[in-house]
Amino acid sequence: MDERPVLELRGITKRFPGIVANDAVDFDLRKGEVHALLGENGAGKSTLMNVVYGLYRPDEGQILVNGKPAELGSPKAAIENGIGMVHQHFMLIPVMSVAENIVLATEPTHNGIFLDYAAAEKRVREISARFGLAVDPRAIVQDITVGQQQRVEILKALYRGADILVLDEPTAVLTPQESLELFTIIRSLTEQGKSIIFISHKLNEVTEVADRITVLRRGKKIETLPAAGATEEGLARLMVGREVLLRVDKTTSQPTAPLLSVQGLTVEDDRGIEQVRDVSFEVRGGEIVGIAGVDGNGQTELIDAIAGLRRSKAGRIVIGDEDVTDDTCKECLDAGLGHIPEDRQRRGLVLDFTLAENLALHEYDHPPASRYGWLFPKRLIDKARGLLQEFDVRGGGPQTRAGGLSGGNQQKVVLAREIDRNPKVLIAAQPTRGLDVGAIEFVHRRLVEERDEGRGILLVSLELDEILSLSDRILVIFEGRIVGEFPPGASEEELGVAMTGGGRKAAA
Amino acid sequence: MTETEGTPPEGGGKVEAPPPGDALNVARRLAVAQRAGGLLVPLLTTILAFLIGGLVVLATTGKNPVTTYKAIFEGAGLNWFFEVGSHELRIPFTQAHVPFPWNVNDIDSLAAYNLQQTLINFVPLVLTGLAVAFAFRCGMFNIGGQGQYLAGAIVGVWIGSELPNLPGLVHILLAVVAGVLAGALLAGIAGILKATVGTHEVIATIMLNWIMVWTGVFLFGLGGPLQNDTQPFVPVSNDVVDRAKLAIFWGDPALQALHVGFFVALAALVVYWLTLNRTTLGYEVRAVGFNPEAAHYGGISVARNYFLAMAISGAFAGLAGAIDIVGWQYRINTNDVMISSQIAFVGIAVALLGRNKAIGVGLAGLLFAALTTGTSTRNLDPEIFRPELATNLTVMIQGLVVLFVGADVLVLYLLNVRKRGRQRAATRPQA
Amino acid sequence: MTAAFERVLGRLPRGARALAWAGILAGILAFWVTLPPVKVREPIVAILIGLAAVGLGVAAVRQGVRRLGWGAVAIGVLGILLGYLATRSSVTHLDQVIVWSALTAAMLRYATPLAFAAMGGIFSERSGVVNIGLEGMMLSGAFFGILGADKLNSWPLGLLCAALAGAVFAFIHAFFAIQLRADQIVGGTAINFLALGITGYLFIDIYGGEGTPPDIPKIPSVHLGFLEDWYFIGPVLGQLNLMIWLALLTIVATWVVLFKTPVGLRVRAVGEHPRAADTVGISVYATRYVAVTLSGVLAALGGAYISIGFVNSFNQNMTVGRGFIALAAVIFGNWRPWGAAAAALLFGFSSALAQRLPAYSESAAVLFQALPYVLTLIAVAGVIGRSKPPASVGRPYQKQ
Repeated sequence: MDERPVLELRGITKRFPGIVANDAVDFDLRKGEVHALLGENGAGKSTLMNVVYGLYRPDEGQILVNGKPAELGSPKAAIENGIGMVHQHFMLIPVMSVAENIVLATEPTHNGIFLDYAAAEKRVREISARFGLAVDPRAIVQDITVGQQQRVEILKALYRGADILVLDEPTAVLTPQESLELFTIIRSLTEQGKSIIFISHKLNEVTEVADRITVLRRGKKIETLPAAGATEEGLARLMVGREVLLRVDKTTSQPTAPLLSVQGLTVEDDRGIEQVRDVSFEVRGGEIVGIAGVDGNGQTELIDAIAGLRRSKAGRIVIGDEDVTDDTCKECLDAGLGHIPEDRQRRGLVLDFTLAENLALHEYDHPPASRYGWLFPKRLIDKARGLLQEFDVRGGGPQTRAGGLSGGNQQKVVLAREIDRNPKVLIAAQPTRGLDVGAIEFVHRRLVEERDEGRGILLVSLELDEILSLSDRILVIFEGRIVGEFPPGASEEELGVAMTGGGRKAAA
Repeated sequence: MTETEGTPPEGGGKVEAPPPGDALNVARRLAVAQRAGGLLVPLLTTILAFLIGGLVVLATTGKNPVTTYKAIFEGAGLNWFFEVGSHELRIPFTQAHVPFPWNVNDIDSLAAYNLQQTLINFVPLVLTGLAVAFAFRCGMFNIGGQGQYLAGAIVGVWIGSELPNLPGLVHILLAVVAGVLAGALLAGIAGILKATVGTHEVIATIMLNWIMVWTGVFLFGLGGPLQNDTQPFVPVSNDVVDRAKLAIFWGDPALQALHVGFFVALAALVVYWLTLNRTTLGYEVRAVGFNPEAAHYGGISVARNYFLAMAISGAFAGLAGAIDIVGWQYRINTNDVMISSQIAFVGIAVALLGRNKAIGVGLAGLLFAALTTGTSTRNLDPEIFRPELATNLTVMIQGLVVLFVGADVLVLYLLNVRKRGRQRAATRPQA
Repeated sequence: MTAAFERVLGRLPRGARALAWAGILAGILAFWVTLPPVKVREPIVAILIGLAAVGLGVAAVRQGVRRLGWGAVAIGVLGILLGYLATRSSVTHLDQVIVWSALTAAMLRYATPLAFAAMGGIFSERSGVVNIGLEGMMLSGAFFGILGADKLNSWPLGLLCAALAGAVFAFIHAFFAIQLRADQIVGGTAINFLALGITGYLFIDIYGGEGTPPDIPKIPSVHLGFLEDWYFIGPVLGQLNLMIWLALLTIVATWVVLFKTPVGLRVRAVGEHPRAADTVGISVYATRYVAVTLSGVLAALGGAYISIGFVNSFNQNMTVGRGFIALAAVIFGNWRPWGAAAAALLFGFSSALAQRLPAYSESAAVLFQALPYVLTLIAVAGVIGRSKPPASVGRPYQKQ
């Protein structure tokens, strides 16, 4: 392997108001290697790579490409320096064809005036053959699979002559098989002399695919080490800065009667594709049932159907003893459902409302909050004051705008609202995403307390740690089906196999 | 709405972040600044728009802008307020009199007459302003005030001129309520389309505007079904019967004088505020306006609120049309259909300048009413400035106000200056 | 030769689409047979042909061709109604109103300003900026066109003035929409106010109460002598204003630029997914600035046609909503140049009819003026399929 760095970052610092996203980070990439950038959500990985791709300007520091200082002030400059990036959210135009997406901004033409579609398709075929990335250049992007879309993104970079490829969390949207295919592609790319920066927070992937690993934590570079010999435990320690111990103190559960029962549920997404297929399970009072799975295997549609946000195609949903199949959202909530939605800023809270108004989101339309359609703001405020205290919400009072709070405190507000309704069943979807450790502990402790109060809790999370430490029973969802049920003591390996489709036979 | 895709600028070590205890203060300070900006910005914007208008006057006619604005001011009758003396005001429904600084019994002076005209214009401006504002609070842009105003006016004049044997009050109520419903119905179409198939309300209301305009021209045009019975060659409606006309409470009824619809407009401001802030409906409307997705997750029916908010918005505009008819216009001709109904567009400026708040809409309504009246052919002294020019000057100033307030130009500018200053402080010379 | 013929055949609609198109044609036929020169006087003929159209439409719908199919049904029903009405009307009236060549020529005249502004609207909206200021830009073109032609005594310079004025107004809109990320609807509304005020003010200031003088240089017509004797084509195309031909050119150019050149691909990319365009090095701001400014130029040319090509005078607010009809044409035509052009023709036809119908009823003729808006409302209501705007239209873009 050539030891000369093709890309070198020296002392990169990038500040945002109130925050230093990258703090004097050094990084180098050698020719033909896969260099993983590892760190937790918010560690500054994406910011650093956006600096490399010219989307952000660093406040301090220097970038060298092939040993020479480079001004990467725009994506265009980055492309000219042979840098390509595959973004976490694809930068593809859904209504255009694969070829159009790939050649965009560097289109082949007749006489320099008219688009030459034939030439575009031909060139796309050429590079896709050369690097083993099979795609149909005429297909419309919105009709092809996510894995194929990712290939189009890679082709886009290669078409522009990229020698350095930045892959930002490339496996987050992929199925396990697609991930394996991606790793094969990555290897074939490095064999042909391309250098790859692989951004991830998944330890097993990083050790599998990378040659070297750089760990970022809170905007600072912690260490660069060869992948050979690195252990997952060691990397985890570097990433988090302490021993990872996400165990929650809890007693064994005392399940009572079923409070949520789902039978033969089938749900389609907006495009009419079945995302949940014949799913049946129960959540009993006093237990936490965890649903584990890779993102995009039907979790969202399942929750939406239970919460009355999406119609089901077949099946039955019962909350308590009330059949709520295809009831409206309001009816589901009234039947005794509490729902902590996936994205608290978009779905959980009205950020421009005050905390008092947010806390009243289910209570505003009946006494004591209102009577005959007449609202009593004073009562909302009084009520909110108590709840904010009980749930230890800091950073504002009842009249503070919800948008002004930190993520952790916002989530506490959502939690307070949903628990205060005294629900029979509580759905918690990704309840700790993006929260700091203190807030995570608070949320976890509270969920266990609510379980002990006799509520049934359905926990849906992409974090296996969270599932393992909280759940009393674990269901694994894969391609819209429940493919296995595991006790809380199950190992990550067992679950991992089931989540990738391996457990299907065992369940059948 | 800005793009939220891409990577949010999250990062690790907070260095410049204030300690947690201070965060509250920062938030509070920001809120105060916003509130101050909420008053300051419209004020500055208005001044800026008038300055530009003044420059136009100076550049094109060479006349002194100050004299021109003073003439407009007097044309609007605002000088009436400066004639302070010791006068008396009779308390309504009694014979008691109380001391009052202004001479309300003076109904014939030019200033009083002009002010009456301003307040007559104030009524539809406030009401159409509220129409736009209410839809805004639900996250929608009701650009269809013109059509809804027309719907109210058409139905108002129809009912007001027919049914001659009803008692006056009943007749008025009937005409006004029908006008309100007509406005609500028209806007409700746009609301339903948005709620069910997601049609953008701006497109729908623009189309409905022009459908109403041509319907109006059809109805009152020669040979049209509602064209005047006694004047077959004038494209105008029948007159509202005398008993269905609103009472005049200030001014000479033989001329055009201030009718009790003025109090309806004031009441509408209160109703608007109460509905938004003191009812569950207002709570839902605001929740949907701020964040439809969160409202939906909270169990609020977004579709229902889109429809209701649009209908209520249209009701305000329809009320404006009906009140204008039974208050002072009494009839409507095809020219009015094309031109006067555009007063509803000024409602957009009123709502924007008033920041969709009740008090703001009231003040902005007064400003634009004064401007419209002060530049009208009847009120502006042609010796000082040609009214035809001034009318267009008004439209220009309205345009500037909408442009500046709608863009929050000054806020953005101030923020940018501050940000740039901070960046300059933060960026050290590169090595 | 046969190969070329086969290619044409291959491009013709097949299966259910062909059914729907046949239905649409039959619907039109149902009305047409009752009109001059055929003038069938038996309503049953129109009814039968119309029913056939409805049947074909229903068949198409059942095979899944919803938009066209419902279109055929609607046109069939309309054909029956209009055909029936025509058979009830007196032959003299019919001959007086339905002069096909005159109607067609009038349709082209009314459609021309719409087509210009609609092409402008397509550029702007395809790049992601809503432009409801088209009306104001058109009005400014009408005024500054006639002002330039009058003061500089030349219609080409008048057109140039119009284009410049449209560009300035559009640039203001662009600046607020793009740079300041202001609400684009509010910005467009402001442009409409401003244009109305400024043109009205200057008009009064310069021309006073008398109005524009009658001897202003006007855009000439193109006289095609060799067509003169051709049946129908001669009276329609022989003596058209230059701007009508330019409008046709503009439509073709818009289509070529948007769909056949790299520039068009980039404009569309910016309107669909600006960040994606940004990440491959396309300047989102520059693209939008150019597209919006161009939209102002085109709308203004449409306005200039009204003042110095069509009526040869100017009046305050003389565009009376034509900018909004153009916007309607953009939406009705699904943001496609040919679609919008067809919509402009349709709307132009309804105006042309409204001009001639007073022979029957003065007031009812007016209702035809509302037809474009009704049709567009029906189109956006999704009754006949959903109109699909560019994905990012109306959303300001913020660079990272």
